[in-house]
Amino acid sequence: MESKKPTVMVVEDEHLLLKAIERKLRLNNLNVIACDSGTQAIDNLNKKSAPPDAIWLDYYLGDVNGIEFMQKLRQNPKWADIPVLVVSNSANPDKVSKMMALGAKGYLLKADYRLDTLVLEIQSLINTKRQKQNGQ
Amino acid sequence: MISSVGDGLVATDRDGTILLMNPAAEKMLLQNAKEVIGKNYVETVPAADKEGKIIPGEKRPLLAVLKHGKSFTNHSANYYVRKNGSKFPAAITTSPINYQNSIIGAIITFRDVTHEKEVDRMKTEFISLASHQLRTPLSAISWLVELLQNGDAGQLNRQQLDLLGDIYQSNKRMIQLVSDLLNISRMETGRIIIDPKPTHLGQLLEEVLKELKPKINSKRQKLIISYHPDLSEINIDPNLIRAVYLNLISNAIKFTPEDGEITVIISKKGEEIISQITDSGLGIPKKEQGKIFQKFYRGSNVVKKVFEGTGLGLYLVKSIILASKGKIWFKSQENKGTTFWFSLPISGILPKKGDVTITS
Repeated sequence: MESKKPTVMVVEDEHLLLKAIERKLRLNNLNVIACDSGTQAIDNLNKKSAPPDAIWLDYYLGDVNGIEFMQKLRQNPKWADIPVLVVSNSANPDKVSKMMALGAKGYLLKADYRLDTLVLEIQSLINTKRQKQNGQ
Repeated sequence: MISSVGDGLVATDRDGTILLMNPAAEKMLLQNAKEVIGKNYVETVPAADKEGKIIPGEKRPLLAVLKHGKSFTNHSANYYVRKNGSKFPAAITTSPINYQNSIIGAIITFRDVTHEKEVDRMKTEFISLASHQLRTPLSAISWLVELLQNGDAGQLNRQQLDLLGDIYQSNKRMIQLVSDLLNISRMETGRIIIDPKPTHLGQLLEEVLKELKPKINSKRQKLIISYHPDLSEINIDPNLIRAVYLNLISNAIKFTPEDGEITVIISKKGEEIISQITDSGLGIPKKEQGKIFQKFYRGSNVVKKVFEGTGLGLYLVKSIILASKGKIWFKSQENKGTTFWFSLPISGILPKKGDVTITS
């Protein structure tokens, strides 16, 4: 089966970071939907017929926080199995456990990781999901 | 006199029956002193725990105070329930009244700490927001430099790469500084979670060394490790003690020259497990040895040669060891090396509630 270029939705309210992430993902042969707020991301999901292959999510988004975003995401069955990687600079155990309970696949601290590594993380989430789908 | 005391004050007899309630207590509890005198205090004024559950009478401190005669202060962990059923957080002290060597009653003083709680919450929120705010631009610098270094915006020459490398290192140091400061503020404000788990220190050490291996190899340093494989597990917070090993061994690597030697020994001594980290590095000047656990201290011989470092590592290490009921000490000779020892009780430590860990 021919696998088409995967799409990652990036939700990050800090424009400089959003720009850097978008650039890096494109260089790694991924399509990017860049969103600078939770509302924009949900609107975008509503408009698109095919959901993205993965979501790269910041925790504090300006309009909503990660928990609120995840709750919205999980309400719609179409979006329920999109793997989400939380990449934030704020990670107290309470937030992390709530986000993981809501189904986030990972919660990483921005300042601790190189972009290279984070790209590998998101690619591995996409691969796992594709393998699962192909197996079914 | 008692009626003009600003804190709530209640006196009971040896059975816990209310003898007196001052106006401040009446106001806070929405009770009427005339009505409550003669009634049982624990029943009349219910207390609730953090989760809002009513604390059963036999677990209230009043009973223990009347029985054992030892004063008890509860620092805002509890709530009092007003007559109308609403609650407020209270700092409560219960003290026995002694007369001719016997306990004849108790005095309970309390105050409403709603405001303190609110300030505390705001402070917590501020630290968390500040960390987020500081880390965001630092992450942006890291990532953008990384893009340039990888040639993602075109190939760079050696000199340009060299300068970018320096920017990257400085920025990394800044990230470390923010993270160290955050951890220290967490330790100092007692917000850190202490979550003891049965831990084999040898295994914990191996995990830390795995992470540090690339650094050790890049300086071709010789590493000697010794611990008894049957070292018993002790109940400590592995997350915190990990930070201790990481800090002490990173220091040893940093200050030991290339091809130098680093030794780590874990052994049991009496009721303690002692970890020893020896380097063959720069050492600490004799005159400065009293200062090494101070915040922002960096050795005068070190700052000239080693550029990374925040001067916060050992301060943090000491705070963690103290919170873990251990001790830390050292011996050092300039240009020969330094040995640090720290002890942890085999009996382990008790958990402590909090809202942050050291890595968040």
